[in-house]
Amino acid sequence: MANIFPRFSNWLPIKILVCLTIIAVSIVSGMSYYFTPKYTRVGYQPTQPAAFDHSLHVNQLGMDCRYCHTGVEKSSHSNVPGTQTCMNCHTQIKSQSSKLSAVRDSWKSGNPVPWVRIHKAPDYVYFNHAVHVNRGVSCVACHGHVNHMEVVYHAKPHSMGWCLECHRAPENHLRPLDQVTNLDWEPPTGTTQREIGEKFVKEWNVKPPVSCSGCHR
Amino acid sequence: MKRTITHPSPTPKGRTYWRSLGEYSRTPDFEEWLHREFPAGAAEWENDPLSRRNFLRLMGASLALAGLSLSGCRRPEAHLVPFTQSPEWVIPGKKMSFATAQPRRRGAVPLLATTFDGRPIKMEGNPLHPLSLGASDNFSQASILDLYDPARRQHPTRSGKKISPSDWDAEIARIRDESTSTAGSSLAILADELLSPTRDRLRAELQKQFPQATWATYEPLAPGRDLEASSLVFGDNTEFRPNLSAASTILSLDCDFLGSDEGDISDTRGFAAGRRTRKPGDSTNRLYVVEPRFSLTGTMADHRLRLRSGSMGPFLLELARQIRTAKPSADLNALLSQSPDLALPEGVDPAWIRECATDLVAHGKQSLILVGRRLPVSLQALALALNAALGSVGSTLIVQPRRSIPSSDINQLAGKIRSGTIRTLIILGGDPVYNTPADLNWPALQSSVPNTIHLAHLPNATSKQSTWSIPGTHYLESWGDALASDGSYLSIQPMIQPLWDGQSQVDLLSKLLGQPKPIGPGLIRDTFAQRTNLSGEKLDQAWNDFVREGFLAASTTTLAPRTPNLNSVAGLLSKIENSAPEDISSLEFNFIQSGAVDDGRYANNGWMQEWPDPMTKLTWDNAILMSQDTANSLGLKNEVIKGILVADVVQATLAGRSVEAPALIVPGHANFSVSLPLGYGQEELGSVAKGSGFNAYSLRTSMADYQGAGLQLKKLGKTRELAVTQEHQVMEGRDLVREATVSEFQKNPAWVKTVGMDAHIPKNQSFYPNPKLDGQHQWAMVVDLSTCTGCNACVTACTAENNIPIVGKDQVIKGREMHWIRVDRYFTGEPDAPESVSQPIACMQCENAPCETVCPVNATVHNEEGLNVMAYNRCIGTRYCANNCPYKVRRFNFFDYNQRALDKLYWGPLAPKGTEETIKLQKNPNVTVRMRGVMEKCTFCVQRIEDAKITARVRARDSADLKIPKGTLKTACQQACPAEAIVFGDLLDESSEVTQQRALPQNYSLLEYLNVRPRLTYLGRIRNPNPAMPGAKTSYNTPHGQGESHAETTHTNQESSSHKSEGTHK
Repeated sequence: MANIFPRFSNWLPIKILVCLTIIAVSIVSGMSYYFTPKYTRVGYQPTQPAAFDHSLHVNQLGMDCRYCHTGVEKSSHSNVPGTQTCMNCHTQIKSQSSKLSAVRDSWKSGNPVPWVRIHKAPDYVYFNHAVHVNRGVSCVACHGHVNHMEVVYHAKPHSMGWCLECHRAPENHLRPLDQVTNLDWEPPTGTTQREIGEKFVKEWNVKPPVSCSGCHR
Repeated sequence: MKRTITHPSPTPKGRTYWRSLGEYSRTPDFEEWLHREFPAGAAEWENDPLSRRNFLRLMGASLALAGLSLSGCRRPEAHLVPFTQSPEWVIPGKKMSFATAQPRRRGAVPLLATTFDGRPIKMEGNPLHPLSLGASDNFSQASILDLYDPARRQHPTRSGKKISPSDWDAEIARIRDESTSTAGSSLAILADELLSPTRDRLRAELQKQFPQATWATYEPLAPGRDLEASSLVFGDNTEFRPNLSAASTILSLDCDFLGSDEGDISDTRGFAAGRRTRKPGDSTNRLYVVEPRFSLTGTMADHRLRLRSGSMGPFLLELARQIRTAKPSADLNALLSQSPDLALPEGVDPAWIRECATDLVAHGKQSLILVGRRLPVSLQALALALNAALGSVGSTLIVQPRRSIPSSDINQLAGKIRSGTIRTLIILGGDPVYNTPADLNWPALQSSVPNTIHLAHLPNATSKQSTWSIPGTHYLESWGDALASDGSYLSIQPMIQPLWDGQSQVDLLSKLLGQPKPIGPGLIRDTFAQRTNLSGEKLDQAWNDFVREGFLAASTTTLAPRTPNLNSVAGLLSKIENSAPEDISSLEFNFIQSGAVDDGRYANNGWMQEWPDPMTKLTWDNAILMSQDTANSLGLKNEVIKGILVADVVQATLAGRSVEAPALIVPGHANFSVSLPLGYGQEELGSVAKGSGFNAYSLRTSMADYQGAGLQLKKLGKTRELAVTQEHQVMEGRDLVREATVSEFQKNPAWVKTVGMDAHIPKNQSFYPNPKLDGQHQWAMVVDLSTCTGCNACVTACTAENNIPIVGKDQVIKGREMHWIRVDRYFTGEPDAPESVSQPIACMQCENAPCETVCPVNATVHNEEGLNVMAYNRCIGTRYCANNCPYKVRRFNFFDYNQRALDKLYWGPLAPKGTEETIKLQKNPNVTVRMRGVMEKCTFCVQRIEDAKITARVRARDSADLKIPKGTLKTACQQACPAEAIVFGDLLDESSEVTQQRALPQNYSLLEYLNVRPRLTYLGRIRNPNPAMPGAKTSYNTPHGQGESHAETTHTNQESSSHKSEGTHK
């Protein structure tokens, strides 16, 4: 009797097994990479060239975000301050501190301080800071409580789904314009964020874009 | 079996429009192009044994393997690098605009430069200046790419070797010593035409310091005959320019005033203003054109006569006699009594001239006769006299003080070089080795000068031949000033520090004068102070205004109307000759400007090389243009083989010099006459210019400089493939362009609805749910075909704004050009003497977009404001959308055009990746740079829309007033258009221009029977023919009801295999 199965089928179970293993490993590693918050960089906390402490400057000294991030209300990009901004105070205060050596070096040499970037929207996303902070979206909505961070880290996922959560329901995040840079603001007692937000959505005619062209161009 | 749509046939008995001779005769090859979105082979993986299927199989396996190692690729660390000391006014991420101007040989163009984080990315017209009012043209749009040209030289060199600044200082000192000892007789300067008051001032100082120095000016395409005629007729130091906005009847004799050589933005704007016809009863100007080749001006003509340029003399004399008959005057009698009696050229109907003359006389001072600047002085002077006789001087023809200072010409300079007195020759700009008359033998002359210095922003043939080659600055890198065509005084301010070690012409001259190195705009400011006679605080204030606004207000001067000196013209008339006989062995030739590369200065500019010539639709090449009859007599053919236009190559011989060139047959060219575009065949300019076209300058001599007779063409038996886009993206001629005469329009303002299928369309139902259009704005665009001249400025502006890559000749041949907006040029009538009409086509932003329903990944969807948006990062490149687009406006990135060298596209991953750093600087940061495998198309400049909306919201803060102020939002094409033929805006705003134009009766949409409801619509073109003219068309459309009824056949989806109009998928 002739063989029912051709010769190469001897190896077939092993081949299938190897293939299945490869597929299983790919799926597991893929899932663990893409489906965890780490993929969206939550928790990313690099070491900066100068250990700038936001909690000290904001909470203890009472500085406003816009003292350093000057362009945030005018431009799409919220700039990090130039060395000059640091030196406005630090020529007088802590002028010899070793923590500030990178800033002093930059001031002397003219080379900028290479701050490590934490928040980065992909190239195909055109996020605009100005339109958010001028229409009642606080810094805290995207960056978390930076005012309590000694070392800044990536607090929110910044994924598209996360953006859309707010664009579909802006009332959950709007606050009075004069409280935008007050990251610890809470709705006054007796009111809820939702009530306040819904009032602003109506009064200010807030309709955040939810189509592709809102952010992708 | 395929599901196909049977389109209704075009209007029977109506006019047919065709784009190419292939379409006219419906060759099988044309049909092939018609039925495919992308031409044969474009969708297949050719030139490679590896089939696409095999490739995918291999790639699938390697992707699976790559998946194993994914966990290793986290995002790399990136840095934020702020300024150490922040400059004033600079907000990172915010664009700024500055006024500046682009110097040109016939008058600078007032511009605004948009800069982003310190790098200029886009040019716009200066909205404050009356010449521009915000509009610009092709060259000003494309000039930004020249700034970033990677071929620019980075260091000064001597005999090809890099030198240090001190060497250069020593050389200048040596030249000063030498010139002082010879009082300048050993020094010669050859300059291009810049019309810069500061350069003229320094030149005067130089001639004071070195009285015997020679200053010569050379421009290959500025014959200066108009200046000569002006000084004869209106007196010394005068020049004239047309004022087309005041003209209601215009006759152009080989004067392409709507093109870039002989006209400027204001001419197009003025003409469009007279042509715009919104409602019955509006006045419409009338244009007569007599020309040898079909020009842009010819497309706008109501009556066009093709005539060899040699026959213009007899024509104009006959016209003068007819004007005298219609309006007898003693002056004209006296003038014409001395004129020779020449026979009218064959084929010219005397009635044509008579009726034209009658029409001109009837419109008196609103009429205008323009004669091409290349035609002989005698004709130009006669035309000025005729304009004076018609009363149009001071009204449609403005006489103003001459702007340029007379200089020696290149022949006088050549004489001095031959005599051996010149020891140092400084060449400021230009490329005389390449473009001087061939009989001058300039390369040898230049080498005979012991010391030559060339200053130019791109190293060209002249730089290679010069002892010293000094990199020049681009106008966006240096301070300067210039005069516009109306004589107004413009400021040029730098947008960026010189990218390389360059210097400007005025820097070099001041160095040569021994002056200290100028600080900032010092030199320019001194000139400004001199010209305005101001000082102190007033000067500061005026200077700041000058720089901020880009021009000095009220700096134009016109001269009071003068009595023309007719005696001087009478003497010239005897020189008017009959044309050379029609002889196939001694053809008439016309050296013409190339609309793409000008005189050759833009030959290394990729945008301009890929720019389809408005009339021939030829890219990346030039060719000898001729009529079908001329080609037949010479036995020359243009064959379309597999969608590629293959042209016979001829040897063109003129006075013993010859060059090989392809012959291109164009409709509407005069017989026994050929046109040779200049500016191509520059092998040494850079990688873009290399291999494109032939050098027509090699035939050109001092005597045969613009036109003449005696050219011989010999068929060589060779052929050349030409990248002609005229058959790309064709739409089956379904009454796409609609035309009517003024009288038809008055009878039936809604005539467009009676053309084609529009009157028979049954109520259509969409199979798919319509998108919800509930946004706060509803965007739409209207293009007025009456005023669109087809100049293509919209194409260049779109390229600059939207980061559109160039793809190279090879890819254009395959139909893969990426322009988001194209200008379809149609002919109608007989191929010998057709009429022409242009139609810009961009994405129609259909409300029921057929592309959206076929996208499997929702990469193209509708937004609530009526835009058909494209999410690049979702696109997987199926190309279904392009195949389903009835307007063929989608473009696919077959290769990584932004990342790979165009000559190495087929190397795939083996080609070096990356683009030149300088080219990256030009990219608009608000538009994604697309990658391979992604579909793209016009977005209505969504980045500008979003920016305008964001600006309105930032301004609104806690109010609900989100209105976008009028005039602040324009698409790139609309902003550039000098004819204001494109309007864009919000349909929800009833006062907006676009809402009003869409409501006009002559508004129509393309392929309306498909019920896709485009947001881009057209205003039918209204022509104004003179009913008295011989052969005048009184009607462009058959009266409604005479056509066959199409109602039954309309839009029936049938199963049929005979007529395929879908793209084929394999």
